[in-house]
Amino acid sequence: MTTRRAALPATSLRIGVAVCLAASGVVHAELYIHGYRAIPGIGPMFLLQASGSLAVAVLLLIGAPPVLRLGAAALTAGALGGFALSRTVGVFGFIERGLNPAPEALISIVVEVAALLLLAIPPAIARGARRSPLRPR
Amino acid sequence: MTAPRDPADNPDDAQRRPGGMSRRQLLRHGAWFGGAVVLTVAGGEVISHIGGAPAAALADDPNALRFVQISDSHIGFHGPANLDVTGSFARAITQVNSLDLAPDFVMHTGDLTHLSAAAQFDQVKQMLGGLRTGKVFTVPGEHDSVDDHGQKYRATFGAGSRGDGWYSFDIKGVHVIALVNTLALEKLGHLGVDQLDFIQRDVASLSSDTPIVVFSHIPLFAMYPAWGWGTDDATQALSYLRRFSSVTCLNGHVHQLFSKTEGNVTFYSATTTAYPLPHPGQAAAPAPLTLPAGQLGDALGIRDVTYQPGQHALAVRDRKLT
Repeated sequence: MTTRRAALPATSLRIGVAVCLAASGVVHAELYIHGYRAIPGIGPMFLLQASGSLAVAVLLLIGAPPVLRLGAAALTAGALGGFALSRTVGVFGFIERGLNPAPEALISIVVEVAALLLLAIPPAIARGARRSPLRPR
Repeated sequence: MTAPRDPADNPDDAQRRPGGMSRRQLLRHGAWFGGAVVLTVAGGEVISHIGGAPAAALADDPNALRFVQISDSHIGFHGPANLDVTGSFARAITQVNSLDLAPDFVMHTGDLTHLSAAAQFDQVKQMLGGLRTGKVFTVPGEHDSVDDHGQKYRATFGAGSRGDGWYSFDIKGVHVIALVNTLALEKLGHLGVDQLDFIQRDVASLSSDTPIVVFSHIPLFAMYPAWGWGTDDATQALSYLRRFSSVTCLNGHVHQLFSKTEGNVTFYSATTTAYPLPHPGQAAAPAPLTLPAGQLGDALGIRDVTYQPGQHALAVRDRKLT
């Protein structure tokens, strides 16, 4: 019973990450199809981001081994990093301003930050449990 | 009493690596990773097919529109940043002529000359005559109207244009607009009321799914206003183009590759065939950059663009000068 109770939040987190990652993938795929594919350097990166995110999202519905969690974190962090670079120094000379294109930019940030937070929850709980173990008296 | 456990009893233990991962775990991780790679490749194939043919495939399509943008040749420039701008421009023309398929047209996006001298206009016109293409178009840069408000430029290249040299035409389903934003500039580029009126009337009868390509010398977006890299009334001009599903703005002036997207509009700044300028804000002023020996060719280049009817966006490819 306890095991089942513990597994439920873990499953919810896993599905939550998968949904966020899938949303990020759909946003990047939509932007790729409707114009970004023509931008040198940026087009292939959007395609990789879209297909990678959707692939890992599908696999996360089956299980969540470390390699998948790592992949999910790398994809979301990479997307957020790319977004930050494109608003500052540029990526391959490509620069955008603010939350454009709207609403895709905002949706993408929200789901990617959410995915990172969900991915960070299990390690944080595990670290907390290690720091304060329950000692039998 | 239990006999001591033989590691061979458990293959996982027997094959455990110093890092702590057994062969079975390694295989499991490999399977997940492999699955992710396979799904990524398959998904990429599906998405790219939905998006349309890749640029390489477009290049082989006889119905596709192909054009080349060259910019900022600055014929007549003398300085250490490029000791032979005429030679560089000649190389650019040779490179265009060596493309697999001849472009439908070539557009020079301004600063054809460095000082608007009649001899410089003559020279650049003769050189452009050597291009293997259907038609050569131009828009003026501020260096092409140094002391005469663009009169010599229009006398040389202005045939068929309106006002101060702006015009439009249709080719293979694409509507092309060539603008002049260098004649009334103070700090930023400026189009003016007459040209804005021209744009509004020019696109009024077009269907919203007509792809629009806009050429100008100075960027139509605020690339770096502190250096004048923007056009003060571009917002008004772009408002007439908001209803179109695909708008591509191509400019010169900044001597470096740069691109950005604002809604339905994608902007591409082209590099030069003459000499590089610093990146925005990385120098006190946008003065010619002298690069270390052997690096100039990497900063110069041409751009070829392909559009296949029915596609949403144009495929833009920038090539270094060879």
